Parts: sequence; structure tokens; C-alpha cells
Amino acid sequence: MYLMADFREQSKLEAAILALKAAGIDADDMDVFSEEPVEFHRGILDRPSRMSLVAVLGAIASGGLATAGVYAAQHNYRLVTGGMPVFSFWGTGVITYETTMLGSVLATFGWFLWESGLLRKRDKSIPVPTVLPGVMCLRVHCSDPHVTRARQILDSAGATDIARKEVA
Amino acid sequence: MAASAGLLPYAKIREDLFRPLSKGSPRYWITICAAMSVIILGMAAWGIQVRDGMGVTGLNRPVFWGFYIVDFVFWIGISHAGTLISAILRLTDAAWRKPVTRAAEAITVFCLMIGGMFPIIHLGRSWLFYWLIPYPNPRLLWPNFRSPLLWDLVAILTYVTGSVIYLYLPLIPDMAQLAEHNVPWRRKLYRILSLGWTGSDREWHALERAMKLMACIILAVAISVHTVVSWDFAMSIAPMWHSTIFGPYFVVGAIFSGIAALLLVMGTLRRALGLELYLTKHHFNNLSKLLLLMSLLWFYFTFAEYQTVWYGNEPSEMAVFASKIRGPYAPFFWTMVFCNFVVPFILLGIRKLRTINTAMIASVCVLIGMWLERYLIVAPTLGNPRMNAASGVYVPTWIEFAITAATFAGMLVLYLLFAKLFPMIAVWEFKAHPVEEN
Repeated sequence: MYLMADFREQSKLEAAILALKAAGIDADDMDVFSEEPVEFHRGILDRPSRMSLVAVLGAIASGGLATAGVYAAQHNYRLVTGGMPVFSFWGTGVITYETTMLGSVLATFGWFLWESGLLRKRDKSIPVPTVLPGVMCLRVHCSDPHVTRARQILDSAGATDIARKEVA
Repeated sequence: MAASAGLLPYAKIREDLFRPLSKGSPRYWITICAAMSVIILGMAAWGIQVRDGMGVTGLNRPVFWGFYIVDFVFWIGISHAGTLISAILRLTDAAWRKPVTRAAEAITVFCLMIGGMFPIIHLGRSWLFYWLIPYPNPRLLWPNFRSPLLWDLVAILTYVTGSVIYLYLPLIPDMAQLAEHNVPWRRKLYRILSLGWTGSDREWHALERAMKLMACIILAVAISVHTVVSWDFAMSIAPMWHSTIFGPYFVVGAIFSGIAALLLVMGTLRRALGLELYLTKHHFNNLSKLLLLMSLLWFYFTFAEYQTVWYGNEPSEMAVFASKIRGPYAPFFWTMVFCNFVVPFILLGIRKLRTINTAMIASVCVLIGMWLERYLIVAPTLGNPRMNAASGVYVPTWIEFAITAATFAGMLVLYLLFAKLFPMIAVWEFKAHPVEEN
């Protein structure tokens, strides 16, 4: 069961989210849809992210793999170096650096697709609201016993339009 | 810049920014056709070069790097406009960046595409370009990872990948809005590219986080790329190339030419797409000041470089120095100083003269000056190697001129097509825009 409530003011939307959370609805069961990003105050609708960590891990993995590959290649296909070491940081540092950055870029992009849900298979039975400019739509997933209470909260918080959608 | 109390309504912003996508004026198509004819001429010239060999160019002993390497460095330099400016302004949360960033990011991607072609054109046997890629092969020669040319390949691949993603990410919400476009093939294109964006807070959170991270990463990559390009020269012990300041000198030059390209593109878009309400005097004023700052920095680096050479009085370096200051390359050198320093200093330094038109004039001059700067780095050093007996002067042929002209036309075509397919200003970033005095 989904409730969809439109808000025109961010403060009212924030109040509704806080009240719904106090009523026992999990933040993961709420989504806000809008045509532009809405910045909530900390503690309202936090979405913890591991993107920075993934970017660092991607960088380490890519840079490490590339360096290992270069090391193996230089030792297996020895070039004449005029007395210089076959493998050295000064000679291959740029390759390591650039591949580290490439790993970071790709990991960030990949994680963005995953975290935003764009890459994941979607449940088409979940309703997605069509949002008008300037409107923020709060979608709440709640079980039957919570519906009446949630509706009351949304109503009293100042939602301009509340719709109820059954899951197919 | 004073801002009036009024706010542009969202419907108008959306209409203004999406309008250029649907209409193609006769002037637009004439420009495309004219540019395409220059591209065809360039392709014909390249065809002749592939058929007859590099002998049709002006490249000859001892100058084996000519226009192609100049063009390569020039385009890679301009590519810094986008990403650097966009990333810096995004990270510092500069509010005035919003109408500027996409135009800048698009410059980066297209310049990299064009610049990246030149090493292949320069190869002569272009069909063997894949020999640059490190892969196990039966030639008993593993590509040399310590070669700056391979560094270039890796650096540019990283930069292209990052820049395309950096351009694409903020386009997703706009493309989702365009997914209801009335032209079927466009509707399909935007639907596929927007990946089913719904505008949920999870998506917005992920997008903003990714943009911030990408801005940090791309800054580091952008600086490294042009430093690596400078090392193509600095790692050889050639006179006036083997310099420790070449890295930052190239980076400064790249940002300088990049800002000039951005100003030129913005001025053209403003007029051609009727974006006077969005690209205001305020934006041109801020970018003009940045251009002036970079002009001063460029002059400082150039002076430091030449001063050190003159003071060292090393014969082989002085031969190159003399050829630039009073020899066959002197006209180019003094034109470069005039274009890169005198013109911006006068037009942008004097407040009363600083207008949108003068900013565009200064930008054109800077682009000419920076192309000459790249030329003066490449040709005189190779023309005056350490062995005096081998000296010579580089004289390009029509083949090189045609290919160079084709790349400028190519940039124009790519940009015009992009402006017809995607909004040049991010609509979602531009809500409730205060009407600025124009």
C-alpha cells in the first residue's frame, strides 16, 4: 500500500517525514520525488552512502592492477634500459596515477548507478508519481494498520493532495 | 551586478532552454554545411597523406613534429576549460557557474575527441594506431611503459572517460524531462539515456554525491593530463624543452586558452540561441577577470622561461631563443605576446572597456596567441637541434593547413549538433532564477 502526498513547502514536508518516522514508519519506506534536488536538514531523510569508499577502493584496485601488470610486462619483456632499472616508479608512476584515477572514475559512476537505483531491476508494481514543477511528492510505503495514521499525519502536516495506491 | 527583485518563472526557463532543441533555422543549417565542406576538404587532405605518405606534409629532417603536434597540444589545452572551470566552480559552490558549466563540459569532451585524433593522423600509417595500445603481440616488442607517448595515451583515455561521465551525469535529469519530446526518435533517445530517472531523493542524493566526487577526481586528472603532455617535450634533452617548469607552464596555458574558448562559445550561444537572460554580463565579467588573471600568469611563466634561458647563455638554447626573438619565428613570437598579453591586458584590464564584445575579441586573440605559443614550442626547438649541422626551418603544406582547419570546423559541427540535441544550460540547476540586469 502506498500513500502519495504533494507538498509545496519544504518545511511542511520535513514536518511530515519527522512525524511519520515518530509513528514508526521507516525512512527507507519513504521517497520524495521532485523536479529539482531537495536538500533536507540532517536527520530528516538521511541517505547514507558508501560512494566515497567505493571510489577509493576502485582507485586502489585499478592502480594496483595496472602497476602489477606493468611490473609483470617489464620483467617478462625486458627492454634495453641503459643500466636503468627495468621497473621503477619514476618510469611508470604516471601509468599508475592515471589508472588509479580511472578506477576511481569508473567506480564512482558504477556506484552512482547502483545507489540511485537506475541500474537495478525495478518492481513495476510500485507507483511512481508524476511531479509538477515546484511540487514535492512524498511516497510512503505502509502496511494496512498504519495507513489511517499516516494519512492523518500527512493531512495535518499540510499535504495539498493525498492519493492512495494499492500494489498490484 | 545588480539583480532585480523578479524571478524568472520555471515555465519560461524550461521553454527558453528547451526551445533551441526543436527549431533549426536556415542559418544553423548553412553553418553546418559550410563547416562540413571544410571537414570534407580536411578528410581529402588526410586521404592524400595516407595514400602518398608523410612526404606530402612539410615534415622533414630535422623537424618531424609540426602542425599535428601543435594542434594536439592546442586542443588538449582547450579541453581544460570545461572540466577545470566547471569542477572548480562546482566545488566552491559558486552560484554564477550554473549557466556556464555545461557549455564548458561539452568543450572538454569535443576538444579531447579532436585532440586525440592528432597522434593518429601524425602516425602516418594511421591504420597501425593500435600499436600504441599495450597488448601482448608477436612483434617481440612490448610497448615501453616509460615512454611519455604511452603516458599520453593512458592520461587522455582517463580524461576522456572522466569528462564524458562528468558531462553525462548532470544531463540525466534534463533528459528525463525531455523524454516526453514530440519527435519519436528523440523521445526514444532521451528515454534510453535518462535510464528511467524518476526524480526521487535517492537519485538526487546519488547524483549530487557523484558530481562532487567526480569534480574532485577530474580536477586531479585534468592537471595531470596537461602535465603529461608537457612531459612529451620536457623529458627529452632538447634545447628549450628540458625545463622543470614546463608542467605548470602548460597547465596555465591550457586553462588560459580554455577560458578563452569558453567565453567565445558562451558569447556565440548567447546570441545564436537567444540566451541573453541566462548568460548575462555578470558571467562574462567574471570569466573576463579570470582570463585576465590567466593572461598575467601566462606572461609570468613565459618571462621566467625565457629569462632563465637568456641568463644561462647555453649555445644550443640560445640558438632556439634567437630564432624566436629575432629569427624566422620572431613575427609569430611577437604576435603571440601581443595576442596573449597586450590585448587582454588592455581590453579586460581597463574596466570601462570590459564588455561582452571586447571579451570575445580578447578570447579570439588569446586562442590565436595560444596556438602560436604551441607552434613556437614545437617548431623552433626541432629546427635548431643540439647538432647545428642538422638545423632547418619547418614550412607546412596545404595538407596540414587543411587538416587543421577541418578540426576547427569539426569542433563547430560537434558543438552545433550537441546544442540541437541537449539543453546547453542544466534546467534542473536553474530553478527560480533571478532576472539579472543585462
